[in-house]
Amino acid sequence: MAANMLRLYLTCIRNTLEAAMCLQNFPCQEVERHNKPEVELKTSPELLLNSVVICRNEAEKCLIETSINSLRISLKVKQADELENILTKKFLRFLSMRAEAFQVLRRKPVQGYDISFLITNYHCEEMQKQRLIDFIVQFMEDIDKEISELKLSVNTRGRLVATEFLKQFI
Amino acid sequence: MASEHVEADNAEAIIARIEHKSRKIESLLKQNKPVEALKTALEGSPPKTKDERCKSANWIVVHRAIMAIKDVESLFFALDPEYYDILMKYLYRGLSTGDRPTCDQCLRIHEKLTEKAGLGCILRSLADTVNTV
Repeated sequence: MAANMLRLYLTCIRNTLEAAMCLQNFPCQEVERHNKPEVELKTSPELLLNSVVICRNEAEKCLIETSINSLRISLKVKQADELENILTKKFLRFLSMRAEAFQVLRRKPVQGYDISFLITNYHCEEMQKQRLIDFIVQFMEDIDKEISELKLSVNTRGRLVATEFLKQFI
Repeated sequence: MASEHVEADNAEAIIARIEHKSRKIESLLKQNKPVEALKTALEGSPPKTKDERCKSANWIVVHRAIMAIKDVESLFFALDPEYYDILMKYLYRGLSTGDRPTCDQCLRIHEKLTEKAGLGCILRSLADTVNTV
């Protein structure tokens, strides 16, 4: 049941991305010879499409904002307790710091979300649109697994350390 | 000035129409006709109003009809294609609420609607900045 809901959520996001990823080159209207991702600046309303928020439940959601030459995807990952909160923050900060390597990652997440992607027309020209969408959806699937694994390993290590330390008092 | 006056009058008239619609929908739901109820809710949606109250009032009515649908397959056999675009816009509004049962239902319908109506339907709901819900 939950697996089916996850599948539906990812399918919805995939379909929305396929429709929204229609980017073309568009030089800046205000400044000569500049070429900026319009979704970041939001100066001209005629260049922006409606933004959509796709929520799976109260904790997880995905914000997709499109413009003529760029697309921004922001994710909020499920965080059940304090430990997951800290792990998610640290892990996603680690990834965001290395945004150069990912190319489509944004260095800072949008306010209210955990991680953001910025895809521009240049990315669409160099890379295949389908593969980009596959990457984003795969990322969303893997994030949950990674956080659970991290949490498990933290708990296991904590238990081992505590056992070893308390052995001396037996 | 005059246009604001007209807007206000229009808003009252629209809200009265929406209430009338919601009564009709309640009766249709009691007769176990969720598809008819959804059709009634979707047609006559006020497209050009900027008034948030009208949009919220209409959303509440459409939401009621969407949540009452049990069988998503049969929905598309009965629903005419002219309603697909407006339904897609309301689905995205539902998905933005974050309420679990609403989101579950909207995700189910969204998948089937995309299969039926294609990506063009999604793009039209994203691109239409004039007639928003």
